[in-house]
Amino acid sequence: MNRMSSLSSLSRSPASKKQAASVEFRGVTKRYGSVTAVDNVSFTIEPGQLVTLLGPSGCGKTTTLRMIAGLEMASEGQILIGGRDVTHLSAADRDVSMVFQSYALFPHMSVLENVAYGPTVQGISKKDAYEMAMEKLELIGLKGLEKRAPSELSGGQQQRVAVARALVLEPQVLLFDEPLSNLDAKLRRRVREDIRELQQSLNLTVAYVTHDQEEALAVSDHIIVMSNARIAQTGTPRELYEEPADLFVADFIGDANIISGEVVDDTGPVANVKIGNLNVQLPRRGAGPGPVKLAVRPDAIVLDEASAALGRITGTVRKASYLGTQTEYEVESPIGNLFVVQYGRKDTIAPGTPISVSFASQRGIAIIPGA
Amino acid sequence: MKLKKNLVAATMLAGSMTALSFLSAGTAQAQGALVMYCGVQEEWCRAMVGAFERDTGVKVSMTRKSSGEIFAQIKAESANPRADIWWGGTGDPHMQAAEEGLTVEYKSPKMSELQDWAVRQWEQSKQRTVGIYSGALGFGYNTELAKTNNVPELKCWADLLKPELKDEVQVADPNSSGTAYTLLATIVQIMGEDKGFEYLKALHKNVNQYTKSGAAPAKAVAQGETTAGITFMHDMVTMVVDKAPIKVVAPCEGTGYEIGSMSIVKGAKNLENAKKFYDWALTADAQKIGAEAKSYQVPSNKSTPVPPQAPKLTDIKLINFDFAKYGSSEERKRLLSKWDNEVKNLPK
Amino acid sequence: MSRATLGWIVLGWVGFALLPWYGFDRTAVPTLTDYIVGGSALVHGLNGAWWLLPILVPLLMSLRPALLPSRADNSTWLIASGFLGLALIVIEGFTIGLNGWTLDVLKALTGGNGPSQAGMGYGAALTSTAFLIILCHGLAARGWCRGDAFVTSSIGVVIALIIVFVFFPVATILASAFADNDGNFAPLTFLTKFMDKSIWGLDCLSSDLRCGVAWNTLFLGLLVGVGTTALGLAFALIATRTAFRYKKLLRVMSVLPIITPPFVIGLALILIFGRSGALSSVLWEWFGIPRSRWIYGLPGVFIAQLLAFTPIAFLVLIGVVQGISPTLEEASQTLRAKSWTTFVTVTLPLMRPGLANAFLLGFVESLADFGNPLVLGGNYEVLSTKIFFAVVGAQQDQGRAAVLSIILLAFTLGAFWLQHAWLGKKVYTTVTGKGDSGVPLPLPRRVALASYFTAIPWALFTVAVYTIILVGAFVRSMGRDYTPTLEHFLTAFRIERTDRGLYFSGSAWDSFFATVKVAALSAPLTAAIGLLTAYLLTRQRFSGQRSFEFGTLLSFAIPGTVVGVSYILAFNVPPIEITGTGFVLVMCFVFRNMPVGVRSGIATLSQIDKSLDEASLTLGARSATTMRRVVLPLLRPAIVASLVYSFVRAMTAVSAVIFLVTAEYNMATTYIVGRVEAGEFGLAIAYSTVLIIVMLLAILAIQLAVGERRLGRRTLSTSASPVAAQAIP
Repeated sequence: MNRMSSLSSLSRSPASKKQAASVEFRGVTKRYGSVTAVDNVSFTIEPGQLVTLLGPSGCGKTTTLRMIAGLEMASEGQILIGGRDVTHLSAADRDVSMVFQSYALFPHMSVLENVAYGPTVQGISKKDAYEMAMEKLELIGLKGLEKRAPSELSGGQQQRVAVARALVLEPQVLLFDEPLSNLDAKLRRRVREDIRELQQSLNLTVAYVTHDQEEALAVSDHIIVMSNARIAQTGTPRELYEEPADLFVADFIGDANIISGEVVDDTGPVANVKIGNLNVQLPRRGAGPGPVKLAVRPDAIVLDEASAALGRITGTVRKASYLGTQTEYEVESPIGNLFVVQYGRKDTIAPGTPISVSFASQRGIAIIPGA
Repeated sequence: MKLKKNLVAATMLAGSMTALSFLSAGTAQAQGALVMYCGVQEEWCRAMVGAFERDTGVKVSMTRKSSGEIFAQIKAESANPRADIWWGGTGDPHMQAAEEGLTVEYKSPKMSELQDWAVRQWEQSKQRTVGIYSGALGFGYNTELAKTNNVPELKCWADLLKPELKDEVQVADPNSSGTAYTLLATIVQIMGEDKGFEYLKALHKNVNQYTKSGAAPAKAVAQGETTAGITFMHDMVTMVVDKAPIKVVAPCEGTGYEIGSMSIVKGAKNLENAKKFYDWALTADAQKIGAEAKSYQVPSNKSTPVPPQAPKLTDIKLINFDFAKYGSSEERKRLLSKWDNEVKNLPK
Repeated sequence: MSRATLGWIVLGWVGFALLPWYGFDRTAVPTLTDYIVGGSALVHGLNGAWWLLPILVPLLMSLRPALLPSRADNSTWLIASGFLGLALIVIEGFTIGLNGWTLDVLKALTGGNGPSQAGMGYGAALTSTAFLIILCHGLAARGWCRGDAFVTSSIGVVIALIIVFVFFPVATILASAFADNDGNFAPLTFLTKFMDKSIWGLDCLSSDLRCGVAWNTLFLGLLVGVGTTALGLAFALIATRTAFRYKKLLRVMSVLPIITPPFVIGLALILIFGRSGALSSVLWEWFGIPRSRWIYGLPGVFIAQLLAFTPIAFLVLIGVVQGISPTLEEASQTLRAKSWTTFVTVTLPLMRPGLANAFLLGFVESLADFGNPLVLGGNYEVLSTKIFFAVVGAQQDQGRAAVLSIILLAFTLGAFWLQHAWLGKKVYTTVTGKGDSGVPLPLPRRVALASYFTAIPWALFTVAVYTIILVGAFVRSMGRDYTPTLEHFLTAFRIERTDRGLYFSGSAWDSFFATVKVAALSAPLTAAIGLLTAYLLTRQRFSGQRSFEFGTLLSFAIPGTVVGVSYILAFNVPPIEITGTGFVLVMCFVFRNMPVGVRSGIATLSQIDKSLDEASLTLGARSATTMRRVVLPLLRPAIVASLVYSFVRAMTAVSAVIFLVTAEYNMATTYIVGRVEAGEFGLAIAYSTVLIIVMLLAILAIQLAVGERRLGRRTLSTSASPVAAQAIP
């Protein structure tokens, strides 16, 4: 099977004719009758960035994407693409293409006709449209299959035809609606890398919907986490992982142990937090003195088989699973049951062993504001 | 894809063509036009139109329909009449139209040439409709079927009650057919209302089907679908001329008749031509056309030769049919609902 | 401001200031100046028809957005202009009639008869349309229907057409259900008529008396609905899922009855099964089975309607059977389901929308059928014939006809409601944007056998019926005189060569040409409006969608007779005065037959993944282009179905047109009815034969022009090819 191997060696940039555009939502709301699918959402996607809309199903991320496309109309608020107000423009009038979850390949057209569809409906002559289509098919490594019907292609190939079809008009913004959900796990990793590579080499603005946080972390410049029709947090993958804005984000992005602590001082950018009998210095994030919730990533917890020293939390290993690159533990401790991941070639700690718990310095542990 | 485009184009073209070719209502014949609703057989209608156009040069637009339909249409169109003249068809709807003021009075110079029954109807309708032909009610039976079923010769209304004819008589439903209503009125006039309904109840046992159309029993007899059928005699004669094994009977007790009529529609746009046609249609020459078109009714102009096949009105014992009474809406509604309740819903 | 909006504003002015506002009197000879400027509303308005002048206000209002294109409040101006314009035209149209004020209140107020005006003409039609479209464009600019002006305009136009050609006439006639003979409001009369024993009586259950006509109709409708669906399914399965050798032939034959003019099937059945029919004679002479009249009544009507309406079920179901995703069946099989189980648990349930539609159509058709009960009904009365004779029969009771129509309507709408309840909210999408690489399953043995055992005898029976019809056209008198003759054809279709060229002297030519013309015009219009409506119903969301759908079904549910009378009542007077024209016939057919296009369109569209349309939209294709390039090619089965159906129905319908035909536009069926009435079966059958041939040719032409739907599905033969094998990663 062909891969998109030619991508990295791609020298010319077909997107050079058009500038990638920004996408901006200003207080956008979408209602269906009494149901509010998207509630007063504002964000900006900078030109040339890949931004992921992430969230559990029903959170409004697909509706948001479809509002960018013009397939749904905002009930309130403003949508701008490249600085232009497109709130009331129909899908056909926006310079936006979309790759659908089901790929939406026209079953009555060949692969080539599918890809050339965009240019032909724009009034470009058939010959030129086919040329453009062939260029894109070559780009994604499907040359030679252009005469096939979509049904004669594999899932991965169909997905790439869908991408080629969306790319052919060189849109200001490219949208992906769960593009990998119909692919197997291995293919998924490869295709998402291809998409990322394609986006970077063509300098495209991409909005990408997924419910898979690993996929989101892997491909995005920015992630917009949505929950219950609102934005929960916006940020880079690292920001989201290390500084979750609330309990939902902390829990949804990666794994997190939510534990209680107490801030003991009240000024300065660094807060002194007491966890059990440990004192930890953490970015304050607006927390005043008093009890707070903390998100602790599994790999930020250090387990020590050496006997419990002073100033440490003691615990007992309940369960241990060896997973090759890492070992996962369930630990019982006074601050709650902890899920711990340890990397590196260490011997596995046997269940039942008493241990002491400490936290890796600075990274992977954060105060959750307002929780 | 090409084809599809053409199809869309064709659709749009067709759409615009419709609009263009049809929006302009009616014909543009300013001079010498006449719109005619014709209530007899197609052939007769056509022959009449052809002859009138030849004689006068007036262009006739003719539509052929059953009398009931014409009446319904004229009534529906009364706010803006389309038709000028209504020619042919049984007299009752003509009388009803006259009663409801859908048609206008006219006294033709030809009135003097007409038979008494035609003039009488004209007077009863307050000059709004005139008889153009007449046909007597009767019945016919399939001689072959009668032989196989050992049915004796039938001569009178009473013979239709014979037990040999159980489920072998067909007649129309008076609710839908003027012919059958004529039968109902005739029987009531011959026997009186009570005895008449006794007769109809007895007849009900022998009736296999009340047809919708008045002439349908004639066809059924000709086809051998039923042994006997009650219709106007000329309908049976048409079948006989077509070589069907039918004997046509003029009942011995006497019988009623219809008067095929002609009326000028109120608000006619071509009133002068309508009158011209009216006068022409009452001439002997115009009335000869019926027989040529295989319709064997008796013409109303005294000097028209009666077709040889036609049942001679002189051989038939005609009753003095009270068109005014039995043609009125009120009496009609009363008799029909009585028939519905007392006869039609009887078990067999 | 788009160019289209600007164009419509210009057209609005053209209609007002250039084209003749009023229709021409039938006796008038219009000159060129009557067509241009001279007859325009502007000139009329300045010459005394003051009521036309206010229309200038909305026309001027529409100029503001045209002249100042970039203002933000343009949509408001467009909406206001369109709405006000429509309102003004409707108000002046309905208050001023041919003979002055139409409302007594106005007569009393002004103390006179008031002004008068004729029916609307080209100008009024164009200006009204322009106002409507301007209104819709304004709404689209507000973001209605995702800002798609094509969609809002389509919705607007379809709604307007339905209001004018369905609701308006139907309201006119139904109003008479509540009126007494003098036209006064009389609800008690309605109640008495409604509760009549002849309608609701149940005597047939307890004695040998007849049951009410409502029960008869309902029973017949249910029988026919079930029967046609079963037969249609058998034909559809054989045609799509078996290797039956003669399936092409089977397809043609199953479609034959639909193209047969009314009365002819009935006549043929009498000639076979009647007391002196061919079969009865054989049975009597060979086996001594006594001749009987069993064909007259429920059995005869049932058989005739089965013959007539099975093709509709077939046309609906074949699209649905073709559309079922083979993968789903394969999925079932890999789950260890036997082919029979797969058929029952997967294939059949997936056909539910199709089955429900087929049943609904069969049921409704049976309810509205008029020709067959008339010929074969015997003493089995149904509502449609009752209504016809209530209008044209000896009693002339229009109110009673209206009451019976309401009952008929209630039955139809009840069926519609039940269908919805049964289908529920399940999703039946099986044509998705993902290529489907499954291979359709062959039918399970017992299903195949059952299909063969129903379809083949039925096909043979159809052949017998058509043989009789064919023979009948070429012998002097069927059943009595079998001398071969061409006399019937000569009477109807004689062509003479004269000095001035060919002269069509046959008696049938006029009605023949008129029929072909009307049918050819109404078929594409019907299909276009029907499928557009189906598209709007399935692909767009707008408020009032349900009542919109109901409106499209209404004209179908009302029996033709009532439609005919209501069209005369509604369209014989201004403002819309179109009786006596071919236009009224075309519109009558379009709106009577549109529901078939809508239903088959909905059935097919509900199987096509919506993201296909959306993909096209995001690729820059507007709704109109998406319709043409993506939706229509996938809708081909539905296009064929509705084109064929509407063409054929326009050529064979009788009950509605019997009131609408004129001398100029006499229809073939009314001519045939006349022949049947006159007992000239030979001529009637000969004419029908010619019509059948014409319709066959038309159907072939339609299928050639529209073509088959390409879904890129593999069949067994190609699935083994290297190309396909390669495609699997």
